[in-house]
Amino acid sequence: MSMVQAPLPATKAESTSAPVAGGRPRRGLSLVKARPWLLLAPGLIILAVLMLWPLIQVFMYSLQDYGLREINTGESNWIGFDNYVEALTNPTLWTVVLPNTVGFAAVAVFATVTVGTLVALLLARLGTTWRVIVSSCIMVAWAMPAVTGTYVWTFIFDADRGIFNSVLRDMGLMDQSINWFTNQWSFYAIVLLNVVHHGFPFVAITVLAGLLGVSKEMLEAAALDGAGAWRRFWKIIFPTLKPVFSVVIILSTIWDFKVFAQVYLMPGGGGGNRSVLNLGVWSYVESFGQNRYGFGAALAVLLTLVLIGITIVYIRSLMKEDEL
Amino acid sequence: MNPRASLRSRIGIGIAVAAVLIFTLFPVYWMVSSAFDKKASSGGQSLLPQEFTFDNFAFVLTEGGFGTFLRNSAIVAIVTVLVSALVCLLAAVAVARFRFKFRTTVLMMILVVQMVPLEALVIPLFLQVKSLGLLNSILGLMVVYVALSLAFGIWMLRGFVAAVPVELEEAAYIDGASWWRMFRSILLPLVMPGLVATSIFSFITAWNEFIFAMTILGAETDQYTVSIGLKSFFGLFANDWGSIMAASTIITLPVMIFFVIVQRRLASGMVAGAVKG
Repeated sequence: MSMVQAPLPATKAESTSAPVAGGRPRRGLSLVKARPWLLLAPGLIILAVLMLWPLIQVFMYSLQDYGLREINTGESNWIGFDNYVEALTNPTLWTVVLPNTVGFAAVAVFATVTVGTLVALLLARLGTTWRVIVSSCIMVAWAMPAVTGTYVWTFIFDADRGIFNSVLRDMGLMDQSINWFTNQWSFYAIVLLNVVHHGFPFVAITVLAGLLGVSKEMLEAAALDGAGAWRRFWKIIFPTLKPVFSVVIILSTIWDFKVFAQVYLMPGGGGGNRSVLNLGVWSYVESFGQNRYGFGAALAVLLTLVLIGITIVYIRSLMKEDEL
Repeated sequence: MNPRASLRSRIGIGIAVAAVLIFTLFPVYWMVSSAFDKKASSGGQSLLPQEFTFDNFAFVLTEGGFGTFLRNSAIVAIVTVLVSALVCLLAAVAVARFRFKFRTTVLMMILVVQMVPLEALVIPLFLQVKSLGLLNSILGLMVVYVALSLAFGIWMLRGFVAAVPVELEEAAYIDGASWWRMFRSILLPLVMPGLVATSIFSFITAWNEFIFAMTILGAETDQYTVSIGLKSFFGLFANDWGSIMAASTIITLPVMIFFVIVQRRLASGMVAGAVKG
């Protein structure tokens, strides 16, 4: 959006001295200045009370040893940065939790955006009928709630009753049922399937809508000049769709870092199996499972910092694109 | 292009389409077919359903308590959609139509807020709700869900409001139309696709949200929404996969129907929000 966009006519008429034909009596300048803030007020108040204030509070809890006793008495129990020291010196954080959080998010964003873009390119080559059919089917995957999806994938990979194991057994590839949920890698492979399945439709539909706006003449000219599909994508399609890709990547990053239900609801994912903990689940389990709200808050603050740190980089590139 | 190459590329596209459809639809197919298959609960299921039954659905809706969960979720989702659509539209008009001090700051703040993980908010909000004595009620959930859908909604609607030609409003203004009339007959119809997209987003947020429902509703099963209802059902009947899949089907269905109906508007809404902004 450009910064020089014309303001609402009412504002123009009221804030400048030039009279407009048929204009109504001028109101005080202060009201005009206040109008955007009046419109913003409900939204900003809700965001401030329910998101900004809790964010400050979670930081304050993270500096306390806050447990059941403190909840009941309402007293504070400041211990400085001890929770952070405990978290940062805990080897679990570095060997298990961070790889499960950051590593997983990186792989998941890459996989989601790649699959989504490929599907969009495929959809763009289809005729109208097939495009509508395939994109409706994709919507169905998108519509599946995370909780439902997680149980379905859990069922598919269930050790005894899952279709995956039984197909492998029938094909003679496996003698005994394998429990895929105990191993960290296979556990997260299933989470990845779940997350990509749920996340790629948004990317595909968004990129497709953008693709339809890419100049056909340019693509044809490039093809005539001997540019292959790979080159056409990076030289024409990607630059044109850069704003779309920034939005898609930012949103996927935000969503994939905050993967919670998809891990928490799988067997062992709710704290039972410590090798599959990620930062969000660890924070939740420490807070609500162990009543260590202070330590859990410190972990939550760390998650927030990682998330904001990474996304600020993206926002800055987005700002350059359209200057807000 | 010679016919052989064209045939080969068509076969390639056909295979790709098949692969996409299998990956996309298999989990959905498996969920629905297991829900109708007697064998899913007793074991020995195969790829095609064997013994057709409605028992799983009947069990889920009566014993499972999903009638109540569905009603609760519907109330929560509808209230969230209405309130957040109104609040988002007002805010979007402010940031798209007015130049004011700190406008960029406000926009940035809204975007940053969107990044805050729920795991960080759930601890303070839980303690706050607990001290207010509002635990175990869907009222607390609605407020939280409105807050969760605001950032996305404002950013998306902003693009739509900005795309409405100012000349249209100027013309109406000169004709002596009131602010309300101008809003209702010019702005509203033009931003409708954006409102649809925003509403879908907040509906989905409210319908699917899990972590706050689990934390705030606690053990009060009367107030459960579908997502936490499914979790508690799974806890009670862990190996009855037929019923778990029936419950999953029931809570997925409303969202799916909604999505397929509005998909075209949704796509254009997404891109307009992303690009025109």
